[in-house]
Amino acid sequence: MPPMAGSAIDPPSLRPPIDDAIIERIAPAQLRARLQALKNEGYAMLLDIGAVDYPQRTPRFDVVYHLLKLPPQVATPSEIGTPQRYRLLCGVPVENPMLPTVTDLWLSADWAEREVYDLFGIAFEGHPDLRRIQMPTHWEGHPLRKDYPLRGPARERSPRPAFANKSNLVAGTPPTGRTAQALQEQVARARRAQREGAEDHEAQ
Amino acid sequence: MEIGPGQFLLAKLDDVARWAQSSSVWPLTMGLACCAIEMMTATAPEYDIARLGSEVFRASPRQADLMIVSGRVAQKMGPIVKRLYDQMADPKWVISMGACASSGGIFDNYAIIQGIDTIIPVDVYVPGCPPTPDGLLHAVNLIQQQIRAGGRGGILARA
Repeated sequence: MPPMAGSAIDPPSLRPPIDDAIIERIAPAQLRARLQALKNEGYAMLLDIGAVDYPQRTPRFDVVYHLLKLPPQVATPSEIGTPQRYRLLCGVPVENPMLPTVTDLWLSADWAEREVYDLFGIAFEGHPDLRRIQMPTHWEGHPLRKDYPLRGPARERSPRPAFANKSNLVAGTPPTGRTAQALQEQVARARRAQREGAEDHEAQ
Repeated sequence: MEIGPGQFLLAKLDDVARWAQSSSVWPLTMGLACCAIEMMTATAPEYDIARLGSEVFRASPRQADLMIVSGRVAQKMGPIVKRLYDQMADPKWVISMGACASSGGIFDNYAIIQGIDTIIPVDVYVPGCPPTPDGLLHAVNLIQQQIRAGGRGGILARA
């Protein structure tokens, strides 16, 4: 069962709530029924369909549906309500990367599902025109999967320019330069002050 | 070496033709990404590319001499840029404006062509991300110098 609120590889601390959306997780079998019910409830806008790749998890993919319920039209501006967002997550296994389409419910799903298919390889059953939308038509591979090489399969092993390896962060070495030194001194001073503060507390 | 009267006339026509070409280089609108903003700034009053002869930017490649490729070129856009370059009439020149057009820039990935000189011949490269409009004007100046310095002879030859 995919994790509901968080797990070791998908902790909530890395994914803090940024809005007041209602978040729900659902299985692919109940997906269409739930989306139909939400649409009947008034979620008239499908903002986007996204996907996430968790390579160490089963099911591997999470397909996210972003819905919006607009407040009803009112006579005066003072009565305008706030829209309600809904985020529906659906775990999709890599052995059968298939979901039912929702283009008949929301037309915006057409291109959104094409994008998910193009970049993740998750197919949508019943889609009127499922083909690549961002990569060229006969591209091979799904670029946003975590096991897809960043530079593309053709250039994966070709040498990178020398300056690309000079990042201190990547190399794990301390940074050089006056500003970096000043920053390190500041951090060291703060740590010393923190330690002295802790010792003061112990002494008391 | 004696220059016959006919040859003298053609040499003078050469000079006039090159002067005319260099003084009225009309670019093709190939503003693809952020560099396009700086290219637009170069057409604005402060930098004013029109005083160098680029009075108008033509939308049709048939009417343009210079293609300023400004911005990153995606894999999908590559064949289109090549087709537009092929549709431009000779003589034509290409400025590769910015880091992305020259070498792929910061986008060392699967989606961006690593430099348009892999698909079309480039005359002047402009470094920067984006280059200042000064840089673009300097590049147009260099194109003008290349035109006036002459090429492989004849008024119809590519400078």
